[in-house]
Order: sequence, then C-alpha cells, then structure tokens
Amino acid sequence: MPRRRRFYMDFEPFDSGFMKVSDLHTIYYEQSGNPKGKPVVFVHGGPGGGTDPKQRRFFDPQAYRIILFDQRGCGRSTPHAELTDNTTWHLIADMEAIREKLGIDKWQVFGGSWGSTLALAYAEKHPERVTELVLRGIFMLRNKELRWFYQEGASAIFPDTWESYVAAIPPEERGDLMKAYYERLTSDDPAVRLAAAQAWSVWEASTSFLMQSKDYMVHAGEGEFALAFARIECHYFVNGGFFEVEDQLLRDIDKIRHIPTVIVQGRYDVVCPMMSAWDLHRAFPESELKIIPDAGHSAYEPGIVDALIEATDRFRG
Amino acid sequence: MSARRSLYPEIEPYDTGKLAVSDLHSIYYEQCGNPKGKPVVFLHGGPGGGIEPRHRCFFDPQAYRIILFDQRGCGRSTPFASLVDNTTDHLVQDIETLREHLGIEKWQVFGGSWGSTLALAYAQKHRERVTEMVLRGIFTFAPDEMDWFYINGTRVLFPDAYEDFVGELPPEERDDLIGAYHRRLTSDDPEVRRKAAKAWSMWECRVATLLPDEGLVAHCEDASFTLAFARIECHYFVHSGFFGSPTQLLDNMESLAGIPAVIVHGRYDVICPPRNAWRLHKAWPGSQLELVPDAGHSANEPGISSALVRATDQFRP
Repeated sequence: MPRRRRFYMDFEPFDSGFMKVSDLHTIYYEQSGNPKGKPVVFVHGGPGGGTDPKQRRFFDPQAYRIILFDQRGCGRSTPHAELTDNTTWHLIADMEAIREKLGIDKWQVFGGSWGSTLALAYAEKHPERVTELVLRGIFMLRNKELRWFYQEGASAIFPDTWESYVAAIPPEERGDLMKAYYERLTSDDPAVRLAAAQAWSVWEASTSFLMQSKDYMVHAGEGEFALAFARIECHYFVNGGFFEVEDQLLRDIDKIRHIPTVIVQGRYDVVCPMMSAWDLHRAFPESELKIIPDAGHSAYEPGIVDALIEATDRFRG
Repeated sequence: MSARRSLYPEIEPYDTGKLAVSDLHSIYYEQCGNPKGKPVVFLHGGPGGGIEPRHRCFFDPQAYRIILFDQRGCGRSTPFASLVDNTTDHLVQDIETLREHLGIEKWQVFGGSWGSTLALAYAQKHRERVTEMVLRGIFTFAPDEMDWFYINGTRVLFPDAYEDFVGELPPEERDDLIGAYHRRLTSDDPEVRRKAAKAWSMWECRVATLLPDEGLVAHCEDASFTLAFARIECHYFVHSGFFGSPTQLLDNMESLAGIPAVIVHGRYDVICPPRNAWRLHKAWPGSQLELVPDAGHSANEPGISSALVRATDQFRP
C-alpha cells in the first residue's frame, strides 16, 4: 500500500470573528491558509459538534482559503446549546451570510457525517455556489439511519457500550429511545439534561473509531461539549432534519449531479453505515465513491484522512 | 495487550478413518497430536464447511489428543452434500458415536460459528462428556441472528456485496431470500445448484474477515467446497437449525454453569455480530468473554486465533 497522506502541518487563522445571524444567535467563523487561495468551507458534524483546529489541516494552506465556522449553538457560537431558531434552513442561510460577508462567489464544500447532510442540503439549495463537494460518512437523516444507530442495528456490534446507553432510560420507555432522550435533553432540570447528554454522546464516541478510543469517549462525556452535541443532535433528529420529506436529499439529487463530488466512506462506519453512501452513489453515479476498508466513522481514521486529503489536493487547482 | 500467539506448526494426523454412522452416512475423522494427551474435539462451521489442516493448529500437539471430523455430507464424509438424515440431532449423535469409537470418556469441545452452535447443542445434551468449552463467533439461532445476516443487518455495512447476493434472484423472489436460495440449491439441475451455491457462499466469504481476503474469496469460487457448504447451510437455516424453539440454546445455559468456558468474538464480526456473544455470556454463569477489537468472523483473523490458542493453552493439563 502506498504511504498514506497525513494532515497538513498545524497553522493559525489569519482572520476570525463573530457574526450576528439573528436577534438570538451569533456564530464564530475563522479563515486560515492563503487569503488569495481557492475558497473551501468546512461543515462540521453533529449537528452540535463544533469545529476543531485540526480540521483546517485537511487542506493545503498554500492553495486554499479555508473557512471554518461553528454552527448555531455550539463551539464558540452563542447562545450555547440553544435550540430556538436552530434548523437546517437557518444553518444554510448562515452559510450564505458568511459567504457574502467574506465576498466569496463560490466555494468548495467539505463535510462529514452531519456535515455531509448539511453540505448536500446546501448544495441542493444553492448549487451555483458550489465548486466541488467532498463528503465523508454519509448521513441523510432518513428514519432507517436513525433507527440503526439509536434503536437497533449498531447495538448488535457494540452490545457492551449499548448497555450504558440504554441504561439511562427506564425499561418502559425503551420502545422509542430517541424520544425518551429528547425529553430528558430538553428537561427543565439541568442535572437530568446533563446525565442524558453524557450517555448520548458517549454512545456515539464509543462507536466512532475502528479501534475504540477511550480518550475520545472521555472527551465526549465532558459536560459543555456533551450538552450542545446531544441537545442539538437530538433536536434535529426528532424533527427529521427539518426536511420536507424523509428522502429529500435523494429526491433533489439531480440538482447537484454536475458538481464534481468525492464520497469517502469507512467500511466499518457503524454510526453512518455504508448503506447511505451506497444509496447516494447509486442516485448520483457521477460521484466518486471511495470505500476505506480499515476505517470506522471518524474523519481522523488514517485511511479516511488520506482519502479526504487526496480529494482536496486533486481539487486545489 | 500481550503479544499475540500464533498457531502451532502444521502437523499430520497419526490416525484417520471413516466411521459409518448410519445406513447412508460415513464420516471422516482424524486424530493428531499426542495419543496420550488430553482429548479435544474440533467442531467445524457452516454447517457444511468441513475441516482443514490448519484447524489442527489451535492446540498444543504435545498436550492434546486432537480429534477433527467432517460433519455429515461435507469434506471427506460421504455421500457428499447429502441432506438426507442430516440434522443437528444426527450430528450430536455422531459426536457421541465417534467419542465411543475412540474410547474417550470426556473431552474439551472447541467450535466456531456453526461449530459453536453444535458445541452448545452437544454440551446441553451430554454435559457429563464435556471438560471445557472454547467457542468463537457465536451463533445460537436466536431469531434476530438469521435476520441480521440475511435480511437487515450485514447489508447495511456491506450493501455492495449484498447487491450481488440478492441480484442472483429475480425481484419477485427476494422477499424470501433463504427460501428462494433453498429452491435453487435443491434443484434437479446441477447448473442451477452450482450457480446458487457460489453466490450463497460468496456473500459469506466477502464479509468474513475484517479486511478483504482474496484467498478466502477464491476458496468460495471452488465448487467442491461451495456445493456442500451452501446446500447444507441453507438446509439447516430453512429448518431453523432443527431446534424445538429458536431460543432453545440460550434458554438452557444454566445447565452448563460451571463448565470452564471461553468465548472469543471479533468486534467486527458482521456474520454473527458481537451481540450474540454478549447475550450468551450473560446467560452463562462463569463464562469468560473476549471481544477482539480488530477482527471479523473468521477463525483465521490474527487476534482471534491468538485468543483461541491462549484459551486452549490455559486448559492444558
């Protein structure tokens, strides 16, 4: 096997700021790399995951002008963990607001997991603004995907950590675990919210890497992170991603089939299993699907990093 | 993690034979290792998989008297691929017939996949003949286990391989996959049987290892293997393993309490997912469970064979 590409060396933003996007919400954004480079926007996961400096490093800083932002309610955006006026359509409008503020005509859109959902939804709404799509760990927020991860499916592969996820909910409410979690995550009692947020987030963290990472599980269980992550995720999921129909992203796929697109998928992604990448690729046969045989869900899996950077390098112009 | 154990070196049998177990069936058996050693019987998978020389190497040949045999209808047992008088009860009886033929009072029982099923069925019927159990890739015929592999589970992670497996059948027959394959595998037309056997086996071979294994896939092209494997497996599966109830084995685990038992299971076993092992372990007082983080279903996965060798070493006299 040829040597795998690794992250670009660490670098700092040349610009960062906060942008008021509604009476309530202010979002954090930053620009790094080459101010005159090709624009790319990094769309993080969750929803509610926030950005991390490491995510700049999927892109050649000589070639790209790299824009990262924290979606409503998470990371450095405020108010933290807020669910009001927080929908897919708000986030798409925010991306447009950032693009206009930064004076960018078109950009590459890069996103994994929920970032792939939002990238696809954005591209289908504003196809003329997208030069390329680089997507990873495809998630289209269909019922079967949510059921797989939160009710039955991934539970067969991770019965051990599933036990802790289920234990947070009393037996009589386990018929619909997502709903039971939503009630707790939106409880008036902060202790109830936090306990539910930790169990929800640790379940996802325990299943995100091919080789389970205890460090990552600990990080995911930290209060501030877990609260935004779990509350915002669950809010989007119980609302079906605010889509008009369950398979809206596939229904509208013809709007983006002219856009050069790479899909990177870990074979052992049990959070967003390959079924969805396959369905997307079947509906969008012009896309390039790269299956990484030794990877799970995380963008930081070595084979995933390699394939993502291969794609951004190829598109750097 | 302690250093991984490799298999013992290849050895030749010191004794082989054929034993007539019914008017129709004769089974091939072999003995290897130390004739005065501790007896252990190896139960192969499938059903219909047959034994291979490397199966001898899970045991210290100085310490063990190692008995392997081909179950009815497969390997060197005759008649090849026969489904007549071929049920779980017949195989359990054959194990007893072989034990008596060899003058063995008690033995260790070692089996993976279907071999674990048969081992449990045998031990529940003849508890007093079993000294220890070493099981891998647990399969108990619980209702969700068949469903996982053929209908709902594995396909989510391997949609590409599943497309080929299902594509072998006309669309109108896909609602009952196992039934449709069974009709073909028992067809009067040898070409229909051969083609179905290859597709049936290929589905399993493509998903049996953590990383794609070309050698295994080539093995599944070989009709001298696939015909027995596919026909016998499917025959057992349409008959739900010939068990009185689908939870028969799990319901009777208390009867095996106190038998020293090691369960080894690959985290990414997508044929028999780890849930099967977890449930068995919970139902089996005193059993030890080892989940191997970087392994699929196959006994040849390095982490699996290492754990199995450590288990048999631990039970040496």
